[in-house]
Amino acid sequence: MDEVTEDRSLVFLFSLYERVHLGYITARLALLTRSAATPGSSSNMNSASIPLNSRALVSVLLCCCLAAAAFSVPSSARARRLRQQDKLPAAQSQSPANDDFKFGKVDLELLEQVDLLDKRLEREGLVLEDDATTVYLNRVGQSLLVPRGLTLENVTWRFRALRDSQPNAFALPNGSVYVSTGMLTLMDNESQLAAVLAHEMTHVLRRHTYLQNRSNRKKFLTMNVMAAVGAYAPGGIAGAVITIVTAVAPFIVMATMYGYSRDLEREADLKGIDMMLAAEYPPEEMVNVMKLLNRDIEGENIRLFYNDHPALNERIKYLTSYLGARADKVTPQMELNREKAAYFRKMEPVMRHDIQLAINAGRFRSAVFLAERLVDFHPDSENIFWLGEAYRTLGPRSTQLTERELTNSAKKDAAKKREKRTVEEEERELLATPAGQENWKLHQQKAEESYRKAVTSENPVAVAHRGLGMLYEKLGRSTGAVAEYEKYLEMLPAATDRERIQKRITDLRKTP
Amino acid sequence: MIKTVVVITRLRKLQLGCLAALVLMITALSPDAHAQFLHPKITSKQVTVRKVVILPAKVEVVRDSMKGPEGMAAESEELSGRVEKMVTEVLANQKHINTLTVPASGGDTQGKYTVADIQAKFDDLLPKVLKKRKDVKQGRFSMGDEVLNLNLDKSADAIVFIRGRGQKLSSGKKTFTLLVGGMPAYLMIQIGVIDAHTGDVLVYTDPILAGDPTTAVNRLRSALEKGFKKLPSVSQ
Repeated sequence: MDEVTEDRSLVFLFSLYERVHLGYITARLALLTRSAATPGSSSNMNSASIPLNSRALVSVLLCCCLAAAAFSVPSSARARRLRQQDKLPAAQSQSPANDDFKFGKVDLELLEQVDLLDKRLEREGLVLEDDATTVYLNRVGQSLLVPRGLTLENVTWRFRALRDSQPNAFALPNGSVYVSTGMLTLMDNESQLAAVLAHEMTHVLRRHTYLQNRSNRKKFLTMNVMAAVGAYAPGGIAGAVITIVTAVAPFIVMATMYGYSRDLEREADLKGIDMMLAAEYPPEEMVNVMKLLNRDIEGENIRLFYNDHPALNERIKYLTSYLGARADKVTPQMELNREKAAYFRKMEPVMRHDIQLAINAGRFRSAVFLAERLVDFHPDSENIFWLGEAYRTLGPRSTQLTERELTNSAKKDAAKKREKRTVEEEERELLATPAGQENWKLHQQKAEESYRKAVTSENPVAVAHRGLGMLYEKLGRSTGAVAEYEKYLEMLPAATDRERIQKRITDLRKTP
Repeated sequence: MIKTVVVITRLRKLQLGCLAALVLMITALSPDAHAQFLHPKITSKQVTVRKVVILPAKVEVVRDSMKGPEGMAAESEELSGRVEKMVTEVLANQKHINTLTVPASGGDTQGKYTVADIQAKFDDLLPKVLKKRKDVKQGRFSMGDEVLNLNLDKSADAIVFIRGRGQKLSSGKKTFTLLVGGMPAYLMIQIGVIDAHTGDVLVYTDPILAGDPTTAVNRLRSALEKGFKKLPSVSQ
């Protein structure tokens, strides 16, 4: 699909060039005919317009040659190679690493930048510093490296969790692979995690970031040269044509940038499947991860004109067709790697952490979804407390978006509103509607119920008292709120948010 | 006679157009063109900012060349530190506002997370402020009492958040910008002064300077001074 798009853009460009050239020749002929028919006008034309027109021709040619050079070579050759790779069985496919890659100055500069980015993510508290999770991610990541101990120039493998509630993963070309907590908690088993890591590791192994950077630099240069040619376009038809070409061409160049990126994503998906098979992970879990990502809880997956990743449905389609018979062979180890409970046990602390992150980021529906999953798996007092937190903060919002709210235009509108309104303003607006009031009533009941369970269980959780205090404060029950806050501080005198809670108690006491 | 005056080639017209655009851009980028917005609590003198805590600034600069933008991670880091230091100096010298040190998180993971979460909260609020900066004057924006979780010094009145982005041009791109047009080198800083007790946005200012952000030290200072012009100074 992506390759076809790029081929089409090439055809379009050349047809445009032909039309431009034809238009230019026709105009020139018309001009010559007219000047020949008008006595005395030839000298005027010759003195001024011929140099201008030759300049125009040079500009048109330069413009088109640059565009053609930028589009054709990497994309079509790459497309052919990728198509061939799709047909190869896993065993026959080439080495996972891009052995032909040679580092240039530009690549080393990029490497320096990403090394600094790595340090910055850590310094700014964006990396989850949980040893158990990091060890686990490293174990799964290393198991995907075949042949074992595969070393690459300027790559040190590091697998870490990123404190971000949005499902995402990315790899830096220095071998640092980051999976967001939102992604870790969305998945159902270790094989799905392996699928994500295998995809990201392929980007590193095949040196995709460097290749993309090199390709983009060429394309940016083309766009800038075109802009310069367009700015100094001469008058007449040729000038108009140059203006049109230089105005349209950047969009085509941009499309090829995204097209190239989509090619690399596709390669990462397919090579990832091979890596999974080699490490005895059921490869169909790659498709299941895509299906999970397709579940748009917050209505954030907005389709844009350009996308650097292929559309999820398209990915599911080509992955399914690539899997074919590969998915038939199931080993006992594959069955083990599909086990949900083992994965959830490892992810339990990450899930709790991610619920708080989701609440902080205003992704309240995700918080409820996650908390319910957590309680279903292990209904202990701490997890029940998180369910209460999720429902309290969900407030007047619905737990699920309706089909109408999940349409692309509705999602775009919602994104615009999110940019303008604060969370409090959104809640006020919703509370002014009967549906919002009903939701709030239901959610406050569920929150209170969960908090109560958490404080009356065998292992009561102090923070549940704080949750109750906040709930009562929102409901205007000042006395109840103060009592709960006090219980919280009594149970947890060294609480990090002590100052905040004490201020709330003082303020509540002031209110009549 | 009139004909000779009117005859201007297309090229000349384009050059004049570029020049006019450049003049307009420079005017727009001059620090005076950018306003500051104060919360009613500040204008009514209900709250006086005497002591502040400045959280680590996040300033990003890129080098724009003919081959596209390139990251400048080391320079960005250095510039973040410089902007932070300069804000401290401007507040102290012009407004007599003292800057307290941020509680060091050291090896404390929870402390690091708290600072990261508060910074993220400001990043979430910033686009909303930018959409309607004037609403700061109506006290519309707040980060909530979560800011108290930072456990700052009790005497701190406000927390200062600094964000910035800018670009430096390669020599090729400079020539290109002069001939064809485009964004010149610039640095745009966004500063939010937040009430350390309630989380209300007390002051929002976004000084801008035109020129290479990595070297224009004096211009940066002058832009910051103008950016805090309306903030009442503490009487000695």
